Amino acid sequence: MQSAPLPETLANLLGFDPNSTPVMIVMSLIGAALIGTLMMTNTALAGPWAKRKITAAFTDRIAVNRIGPFGLFIIVADAVRLLSKELIVPEGVDRPAWDLAPLVIASTALLGFAVIPMGNGIQLADPEVGLAYVFATASMASVGLVMAGYASNNKYSFLGGLRAVAQNVAYEIPLILTGASVVIFAGSLQMSEIVAAQQQSLIGPLPSWYAFVNPFAFVLFLIANLAEVGRNPFDIPEAPTEIVAGYQTEYSSVYFVLVYLGEFIHIFLGGAIIATIFLGGPAGPVLPGIVWFMIKIWGVFLFTQWARSAVPRVRIDQLIEIGWKGMLVLSLANLLLTAVIVGVIA
Amino acid sequence: MSLEKPSRDTELDVGATEDGLDYDALADLLGGHVLDREEHVNAEGFVIRPDEVQDVLSTLRQEVGFDHLSCVTAQEYDDRYESIYHLRKYADPTQELSVVVPSPKDDPHNESAARVYDTADWHEREAYDLVGIEYDDHPDLRRILLPETWQGHPLSQDYNQDQPQIVPLRENANPLQDDHRSEDDPDTMFVNIGPHHPATHGVLHVETVLDGEQIASLEPDIGYLHRCEEQMCQQGTYRHQIMPYPDRWDYISAGILNEWAYARAAEDLADIEVPEYAQIIRTMSAEMCRIAAHMLALATFALDVFGDFTAVFQYGIRDREIVQNLLEDLTGQRLMFNYLRLGGVAWDLPEPREEYFEKVRDFLDGLPHKLEEYHDLVTGNEIFQMRCVDTGVLSRDQVKQYGATGPVARGSGVDYDLRRDDPYGYYDELDWDVVTEQGGDNFSRVLVRMREVEESARIISQCVDLLEDWPEDDREIQANVPRTLRPDPDKEVYRAVEGAKGELGIYIRSDGTDKPARFKIRSPCFSNLQTLPEMSQGEYIPDMIASLGSLDIVLGEVDR
Amino acid sequence: MIGILKSMATTMKHALDGETFTVEYPDVAPEVSPRFRGVHKWSQERCIWCRQCENVCPNNTIQIVMDEQRNGEQYNLHIGQCIYCRLCEEVCPTDAILLTQNFEFTADTKDEFAYDKEQLKNVPWYKDIDPLESREPDRGAWIGEGDGEVDYQ
Repeated sequence: MQSAPLPETLANLLGFDPNSTPVMIVMSLIGAALIGTLMMTNTALAGPWAKRKITAAFTDRIAVNRIGPFGLFIIVADAVRLLSKELIVPEGVDRPAWDLAPLVIASTALLGFAVIPMGNGIQLADPEVGLAYVFATASMASVGLVMAGYASNNKYSFLGGLRAVAQNVAYEIPLILTGASVVIFAGSLQMSEIVAAQQQSLIGPLPSWYAFVNPFAFVLFLIANLAEVGRNPFDIPEAPTEIVAGYQTEYSSVYFVLVYLGEFIHIFLGGAIIATIFLGGPAGPVLPGIVWFMIKIWGVFLFTQWARSAVPRVRIDQLIEIGWKGMLVLSLANLLLTAVIVGVIA
Repeated sequence: MSLEKPSRDTELDVGATEDGLDYDALADLLGGHVLDREEHVNAEGFVIRPDEVQDVLSTLRQEVGFDHLSCVTAQEYDDRYESIYHLRKYADPTQELSVVVPSPKDDPHNESAARVYDTADWHEREAYDLVGIEYDDHPDLRRILLPETWQGHPLSQDYNQDQPQIVPLRENANPLQDDHRSEDDPDTMFVNIGPHHPATHGVLHVETVLDGEQIASLEPDIGYLHRCEEQMCQQGTYRHQIMPYPDRWDYISAGILNEWAYARAAEDLADIEVPEYAQIIRTMSAEMCRIAAHMLALATFALDVFGDFTAVFQYGIRDREIVQNLLEDLTGQRLMFNYLRLGGVAWDLPEPREEYFEKVRDFLDGLPHKLEEYHDLVTGNEIFQMRCVDTGVLSRDQVKQYGATGPVARGSGVDYDLRRDDPYGYYDELDWDVVTEQGGDNFSRVLVRMREVEESARIISQCVDLLEDWPEDDREIQANVPRTLRPDPDKEVYRAVEGAKGELGIYIRSDGTDKPARFKIRSPCFSNLQTLPEMSQGEYIPDMIASLGSLDIVLGEVDR
Repeated sequence: MIGILKSMATTMKHALDGETFTVEYPDVAPEVSPRFRGVHKWSQERCIWCRQCENVCPNNTIQIVMDEQRNGEQYNLHIGQCIYCRLCEEVCPTDAILLTQNFEFTADTKDEFAYDKEQLKNVPWYKDIDPLESREPDRGAWIGEGDGEVDYQ
């Protein structure tokens, strides 16, 4: 399973010298473009099409089915529709910040994919602090949300931006603490190491994925992740019925596409992290690794949509309470227990 | 028998006798305050001086037990203005009294009743806005339905409809100017929730002052959907032209309930007897409307609490669709039914009758399962309980102060349902229960609506049984009503029915022509909406949104 | 927690049973009940120009123009203003004006909704349903004798 990072593979494939720096820079760029495109394709599939289909299934409707097979070409129609809309810049917005926010939201999440091992050697880089890097990039999105909320010069956006910060701060910590418990198991922050550590068998054919080894941590992480990506029951930064659309109220056209895209990439990044540290990364029988990996992150995406169909939104004070009084305590307990158990066994 | 009112421990109020009110005893109690007595169709009117309104009303409220100011009707005669306070009791709404307050033509002034009944606040503002009577000692006498800059009072006699309303831009209030509540309170933030907002269910504007995420103060601003329905009805003939309009007050498929309000008032005014067979059809179709309206209330409430991708909304709409198909088969429309006629209904059941009964029964049979699904999805959900229990609490006293009725009152434990307490139609012959919950919070109101759907289903199923066995030669759907109705001049009636949202009352005064001289609509949503500030002061924005949703207002009925 | 899981199980059940309740309009024409009230159809052969429909109309949607000899010249109906209360059909003694089941009509401007005689005549039936059969308009009860005079002219 262990293989060289993507740029090296590419260099070898194309017959260049993997040791020369200029070649590696070019190869890294190509690799990054490949992974970026892959994730964008997924997002494009998820945003305009899959989300509609999934929501419709939960609500007994039919949803997009007119253009193309299974209505797939709605993606093209939607892209044209959204991009050709007028970009409205409201009076009094804080210009550079307002323009940058969508870029920040969309790009930070994309950065995280650099260190995710997707199987079949698709991994841009494999630094030793991989997991820390992923969490760092993922949480940078909150900066974008605050920028969007504050720069929009709109009270609803402002409330949404503040809610986003409060929520991300409250749930980032349990998220990372729960992730740390996995690190204790694996003994490494390196993503490939974490994946490799999950390959042994636990009982019989059941692999020792950390979701099976420590289901408690898995559930905690799943819940904290819902808050991190802002989906029900934690979708309060947008909360359309309360604060219109939160931080994205004032965005239109291309900027809206970027914000929207950023949200979906963020969900996929959350899915990728879960797949990597709890579900054995690209591991799986018969099918190639990349396919298994995609199935796993789409599974997480499906879960977020499922929660959306059935779970009410909590209130802002309840959210903070759950975060600080519940999740934090539980994740600390989980971390301590894991540390003790691993210490005793080792 | 389930329909009996729980007996009250207290002794009978002054003037209350076994067979109705003894108005002489009441007049004795008020003594010199009563200048004159008028005959109204179902309640006697006491004429009092305009500067003694508070005295008289507080005596009536405290000593006689008239705790429900149902409606305030203002009108202009050739020689005077007049405000009528329609009083009833929550314990027994058949005990009614009209307090008639005349005021001079040249300078119409009344003492305000808002100090006695909080609900009079908005009702008197409306009277001031549309008719032009000034209420002294009113806490905040401003226009309510029309914009602040409107010139003239549309229902007064000298109002010139053709005069253009020219309002320069500078006259309009700029909602952006004040960002704080006051200079000494700089931490607050003013936010306009609505008129265009995903959760206001129409064009409602809530002027909100926030302290952080909490509501520091709030004021509903209504009137965006004002169509002067009262005047439109005054220009229509009793016999045909008024009936299509009630459908457009509470347009959320509660049309037949609204039509019944008009039908009841007009039939009492003109002494029309409705055949029993038609009454059963009316009862059945009205309860179908109630189910449809409550389904939508539940669905949109879920939308407010769950967020915009909830399945509950879609399931609610799906089930409402079935009721609407039944109503379409019966009435020919899905929302604007125009099905009732004075003295009966427009059509008998659709042929073949058996097929229709079967459809209705299929729907009723499937209902318990569906309601269980809603309970799984909504009321059983812990997060939903967390959000709704003990939020937006409305106490029993507040309900009575603000004249709230319908599921809002019953959710606070006020056992008040006109179908039982002031029987009409075929309700008193059927076996069903009035649903109440004691909590007074958002959760109780949702629960009341869900349980009322079950009760409506019980009523419908009994009606279907009756209709099926009804002898074929006795299917009279309409009484013989003259082609042109001209009720006796100066006859006044105030009649209410239990609409989907509460007590929907109609006041009509006839002047001998075929059109009403004054047509006043007492909208339940209008009174219920007044409780919103009480419910949400100091709570979080999401709770305010939830409370608004649980009030289940329809702006078409609030603004009329 | 159990309540939340129950809710999620409920929606998943719906997602998996594959049942849908929406209609693929316009590919599938929706069922309309026989009593449904849609756009008006008017018949010049039947109309006796009694003007009752014009009188009863609550919001002056129908406008009739006649010459001095009381011969009908114009019959205009603004289907965009109409509230579809069906009083005109109910009052018509000769079934000259009927509300079809047809609910599909569009126009670029509001003026185009002001239908004249010819347009009203050419309104198509919906799925060839003639509403008269299903409605059996019960005018005997409706017109009533009372003290009002029945006057068709």
